[in-house]
Amino acid sequence: MSVAVASRPAGHLFGMSPDRLFVVLSRLVALTALIVTLSILSPYFLTWNNLINVLRHAVPLFIMSAGLTVVVLTGGIDLSVGAVLGLSACLAASLIAGGHPELGIAAALGAGLACGLVNGMLVSYARIPSFIATYGMLWIANGMAYVFMQGEVIYGLPAAFRTIGTGMLGAIPVPILIMLGTLLILHVIMHRTPFGVGVYAIGGNPVAARLSGMPVRRRLVIVYVLSGFMASFAGLIVIARTNAADVSLGEEQLLPAIAAVCLGGTSLFGGVGGVAGTAVGALILALVLNGMNLLGVKTFWQAGVLGLIILLSVLADQVVGGRINRTST
Amino acid sequence: MTITRRSFTTGALALGSAAATGALAMPAFAQGKKPTVAFFVKNVTNPFWKACRIGAEKAAKELNIDLEVVAPTKPDNIEEQTRLVEDWIVKKPDAFVFVPVDYKALVPSIQKANKAGIPIINYNNKMTDIDKVTFIGSDDELFEYEMCKYLFKSLNGKGKVVHIDGVPAAITAQMRKKGFERAVKENPGIEVLASQPGQYRRLPAQQVFENLMQRFPEIDAVVSANDDMAVGVVEALHAAGRGGKTKVVGIDGIPDAIQAIAEGKMFATVDFSGHDQSYLAVQAAVRTLKGEKVPPEILLPVFIIDKDNVAKVARTPEERAVPSWDKTVKS
Repeated sequence: MSVAVASRPAGHLFGMSPDRLFVVLSRLVALTALIVTLSILSPYFLTWNNLINVLRHAVPLFIMSAGLTVVVLTGGIDLSVGAVLGLSACLAASLIAGGHPELGIAAALGAGLACGLVNGMLVSYARIPSFIATYGMLWIANGMAYVFMQGEVIYGLPAAFRTIGTGMLGAIPVPILIMLGTLLILHVIMHRTPFGVGVYAIGGNPVAARLSGMPVRRRLVIVYVLSGFMASFAGLIVIARTNAADVSLGEEQLLPAIAAVCLGGTSLFGGVGGVAGTAVGALILALVLNGMNLLGVKTFWQAGVLGLIILLSVLADQVVGGRINRTST
Repeated sequence: MTITRRSFTTGALALGSAAATGALAMPAFAQGKKPTVAFFVKNVTNPFWKACRIGAEKAAKELNIDLEVVAPTKPDNIEEQTRLVEDWIVKKPDAFVFVPVDYKALVPSIQKANKAGIPIINYNNKMTDIDKVTFIGSDDELFEYEMCKYLFKSLNGKGKVVHIDGVPAAITAQMRKKGFERAVKENPGIEVLASQPGQYRRLPAQQVFENLMQRFPEIDAVVSANDDMAVGVVEALHAAGRGGKTKVVGIDGIPDAIQAIAEGKMFATVDFSGHDQSYLAVQAAVRTLKGEKVPPEILLPVFIIDKDNVAKVARTPEERAVPSWDKTVKS
């Protein structure tokens, strides 16, 4: 991490926080506080099985939010991630259940790439604000899924495909390995490649990025393509877990994804944050739900408790990290 | 049934409006013009509403009327359905066969339809404070109560049970849970380990149940407020190698729950048929337009699907036989 910062002296120039390590640390503090609290409150919490369980629950959310994080780092937003997840899941499930697993996976990822490409072109070349462009895409993806599914549910996927959602490699579930792999790859891309450094630069100061001769438009397109791809990948993991797909899968996925990005310390104004933080954010959300189930929080209270913990966690970030951000500007 | 003042007035109102609208709408039939019925559903995403559409279409075909299916593009969206109702009041079809996405929020809109003289056949979710010809639906509380009674009997009245709730704000979820609580009260040997929300959906229910399995090594039965969640629970049990030890029941009778029952993975479900509700609702609309009397409330009977009768149950709404009007209305 410190190497990444050192190798990116341009970071300071573009108005970024100089101590990204500190931001991630403050998120880890929030996560640790939550873990300590839960393990005091519930004797079932701090067991190997339960921790694995929580990690597994965080996987699809993390993968979707990781793609979204990259978009948010450029100062944009991708509101279509939930819908793209749903569309990809439906395409994949119907082809896989029909006996064409390779085709199903390809169609799902292809749909994600295509939606991302259109988003990226609209944002970078047609100069439509990302909020509007991807909101349009949200409805297009939903609409395509509605037409394709005709109100059907597809269920019963082959065991081989379901490995990515339910398989085990020794004592570790396969989806957790996928999550760790994704985190590693994205982290390297974002901090050790010109592309990643460019994304931070675009988010920090788009004008300066363009004047420095960076291919801003092309990079923006790639960012949205990546986000679409990650959403469709998350869709594959979801259907492998549930063994079924219907068009409502993507509903209510968008806001938790945005929450995971924010909880992870990535600024919605761009330029500050990263995928490692988002992993922490996704874990916080999964932990809260797990904790409420273990503690038997009453159904009617759960929504409120979830909101409260999200706000407390962000507040903690302001208190711990706020000082650093102020001194850096 | 004793006639309370309230049920008498609503009954009289219903009969009154049925007679009035029957007279108004007679010309459509008399002129040999096809009457148009606006048929509302909550969304185009959930297969339940697809089954409703198919049931309604079967009735429309049989009775030779034009059926217009009206659905919000944003699933279960109150604001959008309010607009749709207002649009359709302007178009003035011969009748509304209506289900509100929210049984309270849509009351003012339907009151406008009342003022416009459009007869309202309310199905699935019951509305009050409106003039309706009839309500056709299933009693959520009774359905879950009967399901639990059947389950608890199979456990000899003893066991540790988990309840998976639906969407907390949904009236159906609240009524279903009441049915569960009533059955639990009648069976002192039943211990409720937990009651947690699964949002009526498979993935949240699956994850909630995976969390609960960490805390409870032994669970004798799971009562789920719908089948989608029940199937999620079945997936969670099997993934954890705990399949077969826990009896899982749901409500609805969706195809994959029927499949799971046939495979012995799930214990039972109650047939909550949107197909039958909507078929009978369109029947009620046409009978009203023809000037026939329709009872103010028609409730569908409880039918439990288990391993003994699962082979005879139709998997899809297309294959399903239509219910008999006379038999249902008399029972």
